[in-house]
Amino acid sequence: MKALLFSLLLLPIAALAQAPVIQISGANFRPLPLAVPAPLTVDEGGKKAANDFDAPFVFDLRASGIFQVLDRSSFTADPKEGVTAGSINFSRWADVGAESLVKVQLGAEGSTLRGELRLFNVGTGREDFKASHAVPANEPRQLAHFLADALYKHLTRESSPFLTRITFVRKTGSNRDVWVADWDGNNARALTNGGINLLPALGPGGAVGFTSYRKGRPDLYVQRPGEDARAVVQNGQMATGIAWSPDGKRIAYALAEGESTQLYVANADGSSPKAITDTPYGINSSPAWSPDGKRIAFVSNRGGSPQIYVMNADGSNPKRLTFQGNYNQTPDWSPRGDLIAFTARDERNAFDLFTVNVDTGKIGRLTQDQGNNEEPVFSPNGRLILFTSTRDGAPRLYVMTADGNNQLPLPMEKAGGLTPDWAP
Amino acid sequence: MGMGGGNKGQGRVTMSEINVTPMVDVMLVLLIIFMVTAPLIQQGVKVNLPEARATPVEAADKKLVLSIDAGRRVFIGDAEVVLDELETKLAANAKAQADKEVYLHADRDVPYGVVVEVMAAAQRAGITNVGMITDPAAAPAASKEKKKEAKR
Repeated sequence: MKALLFSLLLLPIAALAQAPVIQISGANFRPLPLAVPAPLTVDEGGKKAANDFDAPFVFDLRASGIFQVLDRSSFTADPKEGVTAGSINFSRWADVGAESLVKVQLGAEGSTLRGELRLFNVGTGREDFKASHAVPANEPRQLAHFLADALYKHLTRESSPFLTRITFVRKTGSNRDVWVADWDGNNARALTNGGINLLPALGPGGAVGFTSYRKGRPDLYVQRPGEDARAVVQNGQMATGIAWSPDGKRIAYALAEGESTQLYVANADGSSPKAITDTPYGINSSPAWSPDGKRIAFVSNRGGSPQIYVMNADGSNPKRLTFQGNYNQTPDWSPRGDLIAFTARDERNAFDLFTVNVDTGKIGRLTQDQGNNEEPVFSPNGRLILFTSTRDGAPRLYVMTADGNNQLPLPMEKAGGLTPDWAP
Repeated sequence: MGMGGGNKGQGRVTMSEINVTPMVDVMLVLLIIFMVTAPLIQQGVKVNLPEARATPVEAADKKLVLSIDAGRRVFIGDAEVVLDELETKLAANAKAQADKEVYLHADRDVPYGVVVEVMAAAQRAGITNVGMITDPAAAPAASKEKKKEAKR
């Protein structure tokens, strides 16, 4: 009976209603100094899962941008210290600079792994929050993401990116395949099996749209969970770069027509396509929807060089947004609506990431002097940006906060990743 | 500044003492040392503090305290650490690194050499300010003045 109650149920319990909320944006934002000691284990099952739980849990908290996760090597507390307020020596946590302390206890119950998280205020010595969750014993990563999400939600009142999925392209030999993974790049699964598959986009409900050369020229395909990939645009022309409208009902893409490339919007199954750009020469590409689905950002060289433009989703009222540089591409619209992130080739011919404010045109720089950085894409909550960088050699996936801080490589079991996309 | 000097023209003289000048130089250049009064610091580690007649500094907020007890054991807060690990522990310590300041709470009977080793470890870990915690009992005038100032 007890096992039934605990199995796979989410049981977050907010302990205190008046707990403080971390305001993520604003000039006064300061990451919360947080001590995250290794999880305590109550039995063999917990012990076995501890390492696989710990790494993704700590990565989630570090990458979130809202915590300063303290260096464990500074810790002075007894590693066997308990998980309840009464058993914790808070002055030792204060001595290492912690303002908050997170303790996790892991234990097995039959074929499930159960984790219990407690958040303490080091200054007051009080327990602020408690959450527990159970997963199948072989999924300690999912437990880590769930508990990190519960903590993030408690402190920010916002949804975290930790339970979301990403998609990207991985090159193996001459093949390029579409992969889908957890937000940290792990638990990855190949969606395609060989050939050239490009520019994947995650839509609502787990649908993945991508460009594939399986018929010898680029066509657009959509794969929904549990189904085979289905061609949605396959009309003998070069179709690339599917982009889902926020409600998942429409797709935008680019279609080569003679000497020009135009943007189209169609229903999600490819029906009723309608051109939304009409430039006799030149290229329009890389559509990106605004979060309200009313506008589309895109790249066009109608002004002489590739620049970011914005127009209504029906193609009316196109407006140029970027005026600096001569090579701006791959726009992604923030889920908050205010910013568009894009790749620019800068004065030293390096690719770097920038944002442009949709209303004011104000440019913000996100990366500098660290190889080529390309293909920015916002997390569903708008707080993080995923991108590719060559700072360590071959292109890899990195994550940073939306203002360019805290740049970290994704801790992927198998490195490499291009043209990422991120979805709810 | 040589400390073993004055042997010009005397032929070969063995220098038996260790030349501490470079070390003292480094310490003086890189460490700012000041006195802190004990009542401000509640510590779990029991030490007999040295008495000092010096104007103490009022501690604005609580800094990390390193203690050395009469048995020459070293503590961060009330947690004992091996001296060899002190530097790494302090280099990783977010509080010490944010403040760049620690308070030293050493027993009066601890040899100077041990205190210097602890201070050198702190200095290598990037700490620039060291407050020497002393017993204000021997400096009643100074502490009274401080109290008056605090009341104002």
